Amino acid sequence: MHRRHFLGASTALAGSLLGLRARAFGDEGAFEPKILLAGGVTGAARASAPARWSAEVERRTSAAARRTPRAVKATDSTLLDGPFAYWSGTGSLSALSAAELAGLRQFLALGGLLVIDDADPASGAFGRDARRELARVLPDAAPVSIPDDHVLYRTFYLLKPARPWGRVQVTKTADAILRAGQIRVIFLAHDLGGALARNQLGTWEMTVEPGGDVQREQAIRFAVNIALYALTTNYKDDAVHAPFLLKRKATQP
Amino acid sequence: MRGEGCGAMRAFTAPGETLRTALIPAEDLPRWLPWTAAAIVALGLLLLVIELRRAREARRVLVTLSALCAAAALLGAVVRPQRLRAREVNLAPRVVILVDRSRSMALPSNDQPDGEPRIDVAERVARELRGRVGGRVDVVAFGVGAPRPDSIDGPPGRSALARADLAGSDLAAAVHAIAERHDDPPAALIVVSDGRVELGDLAERRPPFPIHAVSIGDGSPKDASIRAVHLAGAAVAHQALPLRVEVACTGGISCGDLSITVRELREREPNASGSDTSAVLATGTASVRDGTATIELPITLERAGTRAIEVALSAPKDDAIPDDDRRLLSIDVARERVRVLHIAGRPSYDVRALRTWLKADAAMDVVSFFILRTPGDDVNAPDEDLALIPFPVRELFTEYLPTFDAVIIQDFDAEPYGLTPHLPAIARYVEHGGGLVHIGGPNAFSAGGYAGSPLARVTPVAIPRLAADKQPADATPFVPVETPAGRGAPILQDLHAAIGDELPEFPGANVLGDLQHGGVALWTHPKRTTPSGKPMPILSIADIGDGRSIALALDSTRLLAFSPFAAKSSGRGFDALFRGLLGWLMRDPRYEPVRGRLVHEDGVSPCLAGAKAALRLEASPIAGASRLRAAIAPLEPPRAQPGEGLPATLDRELEGKPPLVVPLGLAPSGSFALRLAVGEKGAEPTLGALATRALGVCERGGDEWADPRPDRATLEKLAKASGGVVVKPGELAAIPTPKAAVVALERTVAPLLATWAWAALAAVTMGAHWFARRRSGLS
Repeated sequence: MHRRHFLGASTALAGSLLGLRARAFGDEGAFEPKILLAGGVTGAARASAPARWSAEVERRTSAAARRTPRAVKATDSTLLDGPFAYWSGTGSLSALSAAELAGLRQFLALGGLLVIDDADPASGAFGRDARRELARVLPDAAPVSIPDDHVLYRTFYLLKPARPWGRVQVTKTADAILRAGQIRVIFLAHDLGGALARNQLGTWEMTVEPGGDVQREQAIRFAVNIALYALTTNYKDDAVHAPFLLKRKATQP
Repeated sequence: MRGEGCGAMRAFTAPGETLRTALIPAEDLPRWLPWTAAAIVALGLLLLVIELRRAREARRVLVTLSALCAAAALLGAVVRPQRLRAREVNLAPRVVILVDRSRSMALPSNDQPDGEPRIDVAERVARELRGRVGGRVDVVAFGVGAPRPDSIDGPPGRSALARADLAGSDLAAAVHAIAERHDDPPAALIVVSDGRVELGDLAERRPPFPIHAVSIGDGSPKDASIRAVHLAGAAVAHQALPLRVEVACTGGISCGDLSITVRELREREPNASGSDTSAVLATGTASVRDGTATIELPITLERAGTRAIEVALSAPKDDAIPDDDRRLLSIDVARERVRVLHIAGRPSYDVRALRTWLKADAAMDVVSFFILRTPGDDVNAPDEDLALIPFPVRELFTEYLPTFDAVIIQDFDAEPYGLTPHLPAIARYVEHGGGLVHIGGPNAFSAGGYAGSPLARVTPVAIPRLAADKQPADATPFVPVETPAGRGAPILQDLHAAIGDELPEFPGANVLGDLQHGGVALWTHPKRTTPSGKPMPILSIADIGDGRSIALALDSTRLLAFSPFAAKSSGRGFDALFRGLLGWLMRDPRYEPVRGRLVHEDGVSPCLAGAKAALRLEASPIAGASRLRAAIAPLEPPRAQPGEGLPATLDRELEGKPPLVVPLGLAPSGSFALRLAVGEKGAEPTLGALATRALGVCERGGDEWADPRPDRATLEKLAKASGGVVVKPGELAAIPTPKAAVVALERTVAPLLATWAWAALAAVTMGAHWFARRRSGLS
């Protein structure tokens, strides 16, 4: 039985038995870009982006992903249903409440990965406010620039060039908060969701500038890499991969 | 008590009582004072004689008489003489005969293979010595530790092996133990031995009594033997360990080139493939020159823990002692790092949790391979844009598999990724000591094509075959039920400490069958049952041959690391669960119910074939364990003589505190796998996977037969240092008779005069002498 057929069958069986439970065997560990609701954010800045993210991960990799990611409040225990959350927005954020701070702190303390995506990098208000609030969540951790040799840029695709990608290319770098060598928070100022967003007819919702479709493909690959980082951490840093990857880089023009 | 008499050995008669009277100086004086006083008095009298010869007119007689009286009175005032009256008895000297009961004494006493055993000669000599010495003779046996009272008049018919049953010849310890008995030290000690003894410091430190020796044996048969096996340093898994083997040929045997083979002896699984589970680790040829040869043979042991090693030589045809042609070693192999192969069929949060845990441990060497792309995936990129590498399945499972301590197969479909042809190798790997963890998921167990495969053979539970009417997994959420075995198992103690007795709700489980291979279920499904009607195992473990195996039918143990449930324990549950599972898989003593080893019945020295063996049980992590169940199985058919054999099973009540020594019976020569289970009071310990497994060996000769020749030179060294003699069994009369001991039964002492009377007498006589001198014109 093919895995996806099996997943479908088992999910359907569980659903029929239990009234569409959210979780099912084989689906529990699937990638899910949960939409974080906190600081006044009421949904993803690009509403279709999280589902599209899941779809691309499922289409391109062996990983399972949830086609309809949930939106969860920082104060809700369901935030801890999976170690990945996506917080995007376009405007200013209100200060996080004590409960939200505690919820996010717990999520990160258990090893969760939070991607903060500023959908309006031109104003930068969301990104700036998110950094301010993360400084309250993790007062002893400062963001650092992600180097171009970081595993994030080769977890699945060898990104060329190795840098963050999105709808716009305002900066060529991204920052991150690390704990024990692992990324806990990624700060993006590229509107990654904007490059992923697609309507029900299959049309891209936003134009990608300045690189057009090539840049969009790079953004999708970057999103897949982030998902694979959430699922395998630094697997591609293992020494066993090094000779293959070096050889592959050597053949690049 | 004082000594009397000395000469050639003769028997002592019954003690006689005598009455002794004597005049002795006051007992409170130091020994030197009376003699000094007498010397001074004598000197004074000499000077007086010279003086009188010069003074011709002096009244010599008067002066001389007065001087003698004064000198006598003065001497009496100093030494204050006392009258001694004592009733005494002459006691025969205490003689200790030390009989060597080490295993070398079971060898022939001459160069004939069927010659009289040395222990027979020694016992005869000891009996003769006892008769010759008479009186107070203690016969004690020495071998390991303090000497023990010995019976040289034991029942006839006991074999030489049973009478020479000690694993060492520690003469130094025996002599020190005797010397430390201050109440009645021996006048002499007579060692009856073949000279293969440990002298320790006896050759340098003169003991307080003479040590004589009777040298047993005057030759040894033709023999080729392994003289010694040296390990250069500690044994570490996966690292080459130089083994230096010394061989020797004695008794005039012609050796030439001897081939040496080193094998690891492994436990065999009843259903295992192949006929022989032992593995040849190294071979070599030793060229014997001048009777000896040394060969270096590097070996690599892949599994940590106690391993059984056989070093054997191919002996010439006329070799008389075949048992010293091989040595059985029990080597403790340490683990510097744990090498784990982690393969996963797809990336998931569960894979993430396990990988994060594995990589967080600096002592863990993790090699991971995750299937990130299936043939049906549309990556929309050329291969050079992908950071993917081919799954090196052939190299991993043919070349590198033995180098791993554990293999974790997580939600992995065997067929599409070429694992199926390598499942026999994985099964052999487990049977030969490897560790296997099979973790569930939609591609695991039945869904992964493992039913009926060699991997199913090394899984604790049966893997059902896929059928149209059967689902490979049950997607009904459930909370596992912990079994009684799980509640008491050290393997889950860390988990209990971290999260208590509550487990999270899991979203489903792989469907599995009944337990097999003595597997033990630690968690079961609350509703699903196996074909036999028992609760379906969720977490189960089993000992498979020399290795261990775990089946975990869940795909979401990460709920112990990251979930609302995990938040209650800060995610420590995941660490605690896998620390226990991997620790048990690696035979970490913390996760074993008890530690035990096969030893000599003395509880300390190595097990000897033909001697009584015992189980030595060390501290048990199960407090209050009061019942032991054990199973003992040979790794290879043992070399047993009539009457030898260890019990296959054991069920005993335990009393006292560890270490406990449980007697077993006469051991045959061989290597054995022990399974030990202990239970609390009232519990029934079972010999399943939760039992401790240990390996033990019993040699017939061991170090004692490494060099079968008698060693008179060592005895001569000992005798020379202590003032004794060394004789042959036919020369016992040449051993000097030790001094008799005199014991006073009654003793009275009375002064001749009171102290003041001696002083007054001295004053008066000295005054008279002065008066006589003046009258004689002397100054």
